[in-house]
Amino acid sequence: MKHSTPTTTVAPVLSVEGLSRDFNIPVPFLRRLVPGRPRPVFRAVTDVSFEIPRGQTYALVGESGSGKSTIARMVVGLTRPTAGVVRIAGHDLFAPDARDTRQAMRRRIQMVFQDPQASLNPRWRVEAIVGEPIRAFGLASGRALAARVAGHLETVGLSAADARKYPHEFSGGQRQRIAIARALASEPEFIVCDEPTSALDVSVQAQVLNLLRTLQSDLGLTYLFISHDLAVVRHMAQRVGVLQRGILVEEADTKTFFAGPKAEYSQMLLSAVPKIRKGTDE
Amino acid sequence: MTDLLTLTDLVVDIPHRRGTLRAIDGVSLSIARGEVLGLVGESGAGKSMIGNAVIGLLARPAHVAGGEIWLGDRRIDRLAPHQMRQLRGRRIGMIFQDPQTSLNPLMRIGDQLVETIRLHRPMPAASARTEAIRLLDEVGIPAPEERMAYWPHQFSGGQRQRIVIALALAGEPELIIADEPTTALDVSVQAQIIRLLKRLCADRGVAVMLITHDMGVIAETADRVCVLYAGRVAETGPVTEVLSRPRHPYTVGLMDAIPSLDPARGEPGVATLRQIPGAMPSIAARPSGCAFHPRCASATPDCARVRPDPRPAGRSEVACPVCAPTHEDAAS
Repeated sequence: MKHSTPTTTVAPVLSVEGLSRDFNIPVPFLRRLVPGRPRPVFRAVTDVSFEIPRGQTYALVGESGSGKSTIARMVVGLTRPTAGVVRIAGHDLFAPDARDTRQAMRRRIQMVFQDPQASLNPRWRVEAIVGEPIRAFGLASGRALAARVAGHLETVGLSAADARKYPHEFSGGQRQRIAIARALASEPEFIVCDEPTSALDVSVQAQVLNLLRTLQSDLGLTYLFISHDLAVVRHMAQRVGVLQRGILVEEADTKTFFAGPKAEYSQMLLSAVPKIRKGTDE
Repeated sequence: MTDLLTLTDLVVDIPHRRGTLRAIDGVSLSIARGEVLGLVGESGAGKSMIGNAVIGLLARPAHVAGGEIWLGDRRIDRLAPHQMRQLRGRRIGMIFQDPQTSLNPLMRIGDQLVETIRLHRPMPAASARTEAIRLLDEVGIPAPEERMAYWPHQFSGGQRQRIVIALALAGEPELIIADEPTTALDVSVQAQIIRLLKRLCADRGVAVMLITHDMGVIAETADRVCVLYAGRVAETGPVTEVLSRPRHPYTVGLMDAIPSLDPARGEPGVATLRQIPGAMPSIAARPSGCAFHPRCASATPDCARVRPDPRPAGRSEVACPVCAPTHEDAAS
């Protein structure tokens, strides 16, 4: 296995400890004025801890409302946790005096979203979309910037000439490639992939998953891979965490997990996946 | 078996300012009573368009430009709108992808059911109410009598889809067209809805056209499957046959591209997925001959010129002169 290099001496790329997040539940206006009632909260994520060693993929699985995306948002610093610590390469992302670290960390964390239709600005050319992180972090400008954009486009299997086009000129799979090129543009170490292929057709999904895997081994990337599809997770991850209503009910190596999940909920999830009887009735 | 629905050489055209786009290009298929036919294909294959053509709900300017659609012994592709309206809901029920949008949010679900039942089967309000409760019970809504007074937003996604199925059954149709009925649902709920559809199909002898992009759903639900590519049938046959021994290069590639839980498909987290190069051609730029030839590894020069028609191969029909019927085991 390529990814099993010992990581004992290095801090894990991501470590999450006792992460929780509450959301306020809206209360009808008049009842809000009644004193003495605590504000009702919904606990979306409860005491979640895990870590991801460098160069590995950790998958979070769960059904809608299980808190997968809330964790993703906290891990990249978009949502502040109610309790708990997020550490990127050993640095606390939400420490009170960590403004500078947070800024520095931003470049090293990127995200690929589910729907490339919604995550790419339709009025921007691809060169502006992919170039934005490079410009924002002051990594290059002018001709060097254009060359970097071209390089990233080629890395994800598009051509340098595509830089002049707009997102609508591409198919869904190609748009997701643009989103991946944008994520690569700030030269991150850690990418959060939030359902990166669930809006894509199967044949295109295979292309995008294979691309993510190749990039990982070429660039040494670390992924937090969020998905509801266990078959995709089996294919992508070295470690799996199962979320049920915000609680991590099971965590195991992919091999161990798929050989026989322990938690009742994981077993239910696994048995609910439709089986394609392939070559079994011969 | 008698075929309930028969399509022969169906052609759907979309005229636009500079010519005409051919969305469906000569599709023939049939569904027997009590049978579930799965229509699979990726986006742009035309699967939803076939369903919409059958129920006469093609969005203008798309229209049926050729071929025939028969429901039993009645030809239904040339019906006037008011005749089609009598058929729709009565003889053909419909289930769409998103139960959120197919229910009226401002009407209690009991009223929606009673209205639909009485529209198709004139009866006193009281008997329609009894019938509505019976339908809710049949699709597995607990405490149906009480739930009659609930609004759609008070149900979960899976329960809403059950109610949509009850509505589709209200006219006691012979054919149900289910367009991605489980795509918006979680896997555990999806499994329940699949079981429900199968049970109803067996109990009532309803024929189902199941439109989906998900081979897993097809494997669990359908009796026969019809694989579409770029507006044409690539391969059609019994589910077990097509999934275990796919013959058309597109079906073979599609099956290989699906990530699987099967331990035989390589070690977790290690194996590379096989992929089909390229993407489904857009409707405006379909290649000549066999539309799959630019992506096909076994294409010959002929493939770019001759448009293949489905021909028998084993228990299936395959539209590929290269792979069927001579190389039976092109799949393995």
